[in-house]
Amino acid sequence: MKEGFRQAMAWLHTWAGLVFGWLLFAIFLTGTLSYFKDEISHWMQPEVQAHAVDDARSLGVAQNYLQHVAPDAARWIITLPNSRDPGLLVMWQDKLDPGKRGNFNQKTLDPTNAQAVEARDSMGGEFFYRFHFQLQMPHPWGRWLSTFAAMVMFLALITGIITHKKIFKDFFTFRPRKGQRSWLDGHNAVGVLVLPFHLMITYSSLVIFMTMVMPAPILASYGGDARAFFNEVFPASNNAPAQGVPGKLLPLPALYEQARAQWAGGHVGRIAVNNPSDVNASVNMFRAGSDKVVHDFGSVVQFNGTTGELLQVSDEQSLPTLVAGGFFGLHMGHFAGPVLRWLYFICGLAGTAMIGTGLVIWLGKRQLKHAKTAVMPFELRLVEVLNIASMSGLLIAIAAFFWANRLLPVSFAERSGWEVQTFFIAWGLSLLHAVLRRGRQAWVEQLGFAALLFMAVPLLNALTTSQHLGVSLVRGDWAMAGFDLTCLASGAFLAWAAWKMQRRTVPQPKAQRPRPLHLKQEAN
Amino acid sequence: MLLALLMCYAGFTALCLATDRHHGELLHSKPSPRRRQGLRLAGWALLAIAIWPAVSADGWALGLVEWCAVLMLSALLLVLLLPYRPRLALILAGVGLLVSPVAAFAAL
Amino acid sequence: MKSKPSLPLAYRFAVTSRVLAAVIGGYLMASLASICLALWLPTSRADAVITGMLSSFVFYLLAMLWCFACRTAWRAWLGVMLPSAAFATLAGVGFWMTRT
Repeated sequence: MKEGFRQAMAWLHTWAGLVFGWLLFAIFLTGTLSYFKDEISHWMQPEVQAHAVDDARSLGVAQNYLQHVAPDAARWIITLPNSRDPGLLVMWQDKLDPGKRGNFNQKTLDPTNAQAVEARDSMGGEFFYRFHFQLQMPHPWGRWLSTFAAMVMFLALITGIITHKKIFKDFFTFRPRKGQRSWLDGHNAVGVLVLPFHLMITYSSLVIFMTMVMPAPILASYGGDARAFFNEVFPASNNAPAQGVPGKLLPLPALYEQARAQWAGGHVGRIAVNNPSDVNASVNMFRAGSDKVVHDFGSVVQFNGTTGELLQVSDEQSLPTLVAGGFFGLHMGHFAGPVLRWLYFICGLAGTAMIGTGLVIWLGKRQLKHAKTAVMPFELRLVEVLNIASMSGLLIAIAAFFWANRLLPVSFAERSGWEVQTFFIAWGLSLLHAVLRRGRQAWVEQLGFAALLFMAVPLLNALTTSQHLGVSLVRGDWAMAGFDLTCLASGAFLAWAAWKMQRRTVPQPKAQRPRPLHLKQEAN
Repeated sequence: MLLALLMCYAGFTALCLATDRHHGELLHSKPSPRRRQGLRLAGWALLAIAIWPAVSADGWALGLVEWCAVLMLSALLLVLLLPYRPRLALILAGVGLLVSPVAAFAAL
Repeated sequence: MKSKPSLPLAYRFAVTSRVLAAVIGGYLMASLASICLALWLPTSRADAVITGMLSSFVFYLLAMLWCFACRTAWRAWLGVMLPSAAFATLAGVGFWMTRT
C-alpha cells in the first residue's frame, strides 16, 4: 500500500506540474523580477531623479498640489517617496453621487519643485508585478487563475516532497554531465535546498487573496455582511461621512509628526484624506510596509482633518492577524534591504528553475522512449512547443519589453501600452517560431536570440540615454548600473545555455547505439 | 548577515562530510563512527548558533528571515560547488570558520 | 505510465472523476471546514474567520491528496463528501447556537 501511495503521489506531481508548469513558470519569473520593480522602473524612466527623502516637504508639496487641482475630490491618496521609489505619488478620486465610485486620477510629482514629473510614460517594473497575479486578464479572472495555480503549486510541492524518497540522503547530491540524471538532481537541488522559500511564497500567495477565493467563513459568520468584516479588520475603511459643511484642512505635516510619535519613530508610507474640503475630513496615516516583517493591515492613525483630533489608533494585532500579516509581509518583502532583496531574487530564480527543470524532465523522459522514431507523437510535440515558448519565449518577451522602452519615442502618447504590446507580440512570435522549427533548433535559436537582446541592453542604454554604465557607476546610481549589469550577466548565461544546447545535438544518440549491438554479438 | 552565512556554510559542509558518500568523494576515506558523530554535531550546532548574529543585529522577526535566507543560499552554494570545485568548497568552509571570529568582532 | 498506445475510456473517466472530486469536492470541504472554524473558535469573530480562511488551504490540500491516493474514484468522492457532510452538520449546529 505504501508503494501505491508514493506512486500515486508521483503521478499527481508529474501531471499537476505539467499542466500548470507553463503558467507557473511565467508567474514565478515575473514575480521574481517584481522584487526589483522599483529599480526596473528607475531604468525604464531615467528622467525621474532621485532626491534625499524629506517627508515633511513631500507632504507639503502634495497637499498644495491637491488643494489646487482637486479641492473637492472625494478622496486624496498620497504615497510618500522612499529610498527605492523616489516618486511622490498623488491620487484623487472624483466626487460623484452617493453610491457611485468616482474615477481615480494620479500624478507623480517631483518633491523638490512641486512640478509633475516629466518622464516617459511607462509601466516600468509595475508591469511584471501586476502581470504575475493578474495575468493580463480582466478583473477578477486573472487573480482567480493565479491563485488556483498557486494551489496547484502547493500540491506539486507537497507531492514532490512525498515522492522524493531519498530527500535526506540525497540532500547534497548534484551530479552534472549525466544527462537526465543531472536534470533530476538539479530539479531536486533547487527544490529541496530552497524549500522553506518555496513553501512560504506559495502558501502566502494563497493567503493574500484568501478573502476573495475563500469567502465562505466571512459570509457565514457575518450573515452575508462582508462589509462588517472588512470594517473590523481594516479600521481605516471606517470613516465619518461628509457633513456637507466646508472646512479647512490642517497642514498635513503636523498630523504626520503625531502619527510617527504613535509608532515610536516608524515611517508613514501612505496618507488617505477623505472628503478633504469638508468639516468632517478624516486623515488616515498608514505605516510604511518596509517598517516591519509582519504586515499590519490595520495599522492606521486616524485624525479629524479640520480639528486635528485623534480619532483612532489601531490596536495590537491578534495572533490570527499576525499570522496573516506575516504571510503577506514575507511574500512582499517590503522590509528587505539590498542584500536580503538579492537573496529573495535568487530564491525566486531557484523556484523558477525548479519549475523549468521539471518541465524539461517531463518531456525528456518520454522523448527517450520515442528516440528511435523520427516523428514525435502529437502530445509530446505540443509539450515541446509549449516548453520552448513558455521559457525561452518569455525571456525574449521580457528583453523585448526593455528594448521597446528605449526605442519607442519618448513623447509618443501611447508608448506605455505599446511597450506591453511588444512584450506579448514577442511572446506570440516565439510561440510561432517554436511551432515552425524543430525542438533543439528552436531552443538554440531562441536562447541565442534572448542572449543577444539581453547582452545588448547596456549598449542600447548607452546609445539612447545619457545614463549608461560609464555614468551610472561613477555616480553611484546602483539601480541603473545594476540593471545594465544584470542584463549583461543574464545574456551571458543564456548564451552559455544556447551553446550547451547546440553541442548536445551531436554526440549522444550515436554513442548509445553501437554498444547494444556489440553486446549482442558477444552473447552470440 | 556575513557571520551567519559563514557559519551556515561551514555547518552544511560538516553535515555533508558526515555522509559516507560525500566524505568518500571529498576526503577519499570512509568516516569513522566517531568522526561522523562529531561532524554531525558540529554541523547542526553551527547551523543553530548562526541564528544568534542575525537576531542580535536585527531583532527576532528580521533576524529569523535573514537566517532562513542565508541557510538556503549557503546550502545551494555548497551543492553547486561540490561537483565542480570540491576542494574550493572545503577551503571556503575552512576559511569561513577562521574568519568568523573577525566577522563577529566587526559586528559588535 | 503510458505504455499502451491509447488509454481505455474507463481509465480516463476515473481520472476525470478524481479531478472533479479533488477540485470541486475539495473546495467544498475546505469551505465547510473553514466555516466550522469560524463559528466554533472561541476568539473574536474576525479572528475566527481569519483563522478559518488561513487553514482552509490545508484542508483543500488534504482532500486533493486523498482523491488521488485512494484506490477508486468512488472512494475519492466518498472521502471528500463524508467529511463535508460532517463539517456541514457541525457548522449548522454552530450557526443555530449563535442564533439562540
